[in-house]
Amino acid sequence: MNVISPLATGRRRFLALALLAGSCLAIDPAFAFKLDAPPKVAFIYAASVNDGGWNEAIDKGRKAVEDQLGVPVAVTENIPEDATKLRAAIDLYVKRGFNVIVGTTYGYSAPIAEAAKAYPNVAFLNASGTTNGANLESFYARTYQGWYLAGIAAADATKTKTIGMLGGFPVGVINWDINAFAQGARSVDPSINTIAVFTNSWWDPVKEGQVSEAILDQKADVIATDLSAASALDAAEKRGAKSFGYQIDMSAAAPKGIQTSVVFRWDRYLVPTIKHIIDGDWTPQEYGAFAGIETGVVDLAPYGPSVSDATKAKIEAAKQAMIAGKLDPFQGPLKKQDGSEAVKAGDKVSDEALWNMDYFVEGITGTMPAAAAQ
Amino acid sequence: MDFLIGWLAIIPSYTTPLLLASVGLILSERAGVLNLGAEGMMALGAMTAAITVLAGHDPWMGIAAGAAAAVAVSLLFGLAVVVFRADQTLAGLAVVAIGLGVTGTVGRPYVQQTFGGLPKLGDLLALDPANPLGRIIAAQDVISLAAPILALAAWWWLMKTQAGLRLRAAGENPAAADVAGVDIQLTQLAAVLFAGLMCGLAGAYLSVATSHVWVENMVAARGWIAVALVILAKWSPARAVIGAMLFGSADALVPRLQAIGADVPVYLMMMLPYALTLFVLFLTSLSGRGSGEPASLGAVYLRQDKH
Repeated sequence: MNVISPLATGRRRFLALALLAGSCLAIDPAFAFKLDAPPKVAFIYAASVNDGGWNEAIDKGRKAVEDQLGVPVAVTENIPEDATKLRAAIDLYVKRGFNVIVGTTYGYSAPIAEAAKAYPNVAFLNASGTTNGANLESFYARTYQGWYLAGIAAADATKTKTIGMLGGFPVGVINWDINAFAQGARSVDPSINTIAVFTNSWWDPVKEGQVSEAILDQKADVIATDLSAASALDAAEKRGAKSFGYQIDMSAAAPKGIQTSVVFRWDRYLVPTIKHIIDGDWTPQEYGAFAGIETGVVDLAPYGPSVSDATKAKIEAAKQAMIAGKLDPFQGPLKKQDGSEAVKAGDKVSDEALWNMDYFVEGITGTMPAAAAQ
Repeated sequence: MDFLIGWLAIIPSYTTPLLLASVGLILSERAGVLNLGAEGMMALGAMTAAITVLAGHDPWMGIAAGAAAAVAVSLLFGLAVVVFRADQTLAGLAVVAIGLGVTGTVGRPYVQQTFGGLPKLGDLLALDPANPLGRIIAAQDVISLAAPILALAAWWWLMKTQAGLRLRAAGENPAAADVAGVDIQLTQLAAVLFAGLMCGLAGAYLSVATSHVWVENMVAARGWIAVALVILAKWSPARAVIGAMLFGSADALVPRLQAIGADVPVYLMMMLPYALTLFVLFLTSLSGRGSGEPASLGAVYLRQDKH
């Protein structure tokens, strides 16, 4: 005969759950991840670290980790987004006693999750990844917040009321940047048209310059790139157009026309996170870290010479409103390109809906595959 | 109308590197040497040209340096496959690896630094911007105008001259050509060096004329497209002009259709350059016989008496 009543079991379960939940929120040291040896950090990149964009931005964060935390940091470049090759690199690092491993690309998501299961005593971080676990946290930034602010500057810079932006592929993280850029511009002047073109490649510097010219040929006098090659800005500079860079400060490519660049400052995430790992009070977030503009992980580079003080003040005001939670780039009512409703009045776009954003907003000229397929 | 002029004006910037590289490869393969190294040779050309210009030299000096760098690696490739009879497929892939590796390492301090680049005809001549033809010509440069002429000249040389016949003989039936007095090794080596020159030019064009910057891996598979064009063009420089034009114009059209918000499926548009080139060259190949592949392509020629 069972002496424990179902009610008691239920209550005990509830207590256990409450304890668990409480400890997670309070980052109870008993539940946090702990290293079992002195920290040794390794960064693994899919390409060269000075690519003038994504990897270079992360590598600046890597240097900050080395300088500010005083831990040894190893670097490996050119590990393809291939499960066996990444795993071989990780295995080698773990064998050599490295216990904090930072991946740097979406393409590492699945293999790094496998490795995190195989090595529970090693802490894993992965930039723009999609996988998380007890010892793995993926991290990305709300880049759309930066692009909304850039859009405000674009509206003040354009004379033809036509601005353009190029991106790689029509995926959520690119679509939200383009949409926010258009929203920022339209917050100043709703008549502004934003031309959006996908190069259909993550890495084709020659084409990025050619696409920039294609946009300029359609009367745009502002070019923003959501990719990393200087050629897109160079094409704008040669035609006397204004420009916006991405990922790192790209002012060198367009000293006259540059307005600003939407930049990553990964040190603001990497230094405190790795410090928590070293201190033994790190608990990975269940759905990964998604840093907003208030953290400074996404930010604007110093303004170009042609940006007026009035524009700077407008941007600062919008930034403060965003930090205070009073301004959301995708605050409803929001219409799609074809005039149909994307977000109801009073609603906001949830994080999940952001990742799945597969439409252009009103005021954008461009071809979205998902829309064309309908 | 504006759309049409803008599109026509930009097509040669897409076409030129593919055409230059594939004409070079065609001559090499017509002489019997399979040449897969275009991607690596173009990278060498692009990087060497860019760093020469960044060092303060004239764009033409940069282009010459880029071509010379690719000729140098071609000489290695030529010695390996023609003199030492290495496997042509493997040696070609080695050229790709060397080209990408060397440019990645040597070019590292120079990435993302923009420079002036090759002047356009519009910078050199007083052309009327109101005249559509004037606008199209203004957007060209000396190399983009010369490339199709060079391709047709290569076709004429290959098909109509004694020297061209000797080169083709080396690729079709080297034993017979040898008996007839053709120096097979010298002919093949010269053809390989010419391919290097053209691929180097193509790469230099990408950095110095089109994008005014060096970035690692900027050739972005254009070398492989040139290799494919050789086959689709059935080893004819004249047909390579058609192939490169088709591919380039479709490739240039895709972003321009997006920029006007054309209601066309983007993924189908992405296929367009490949599908169109394949389709048209398939149609034109129905008229001729065979694939046009040189009979002794990739084969190592050993003279009997050298055993």
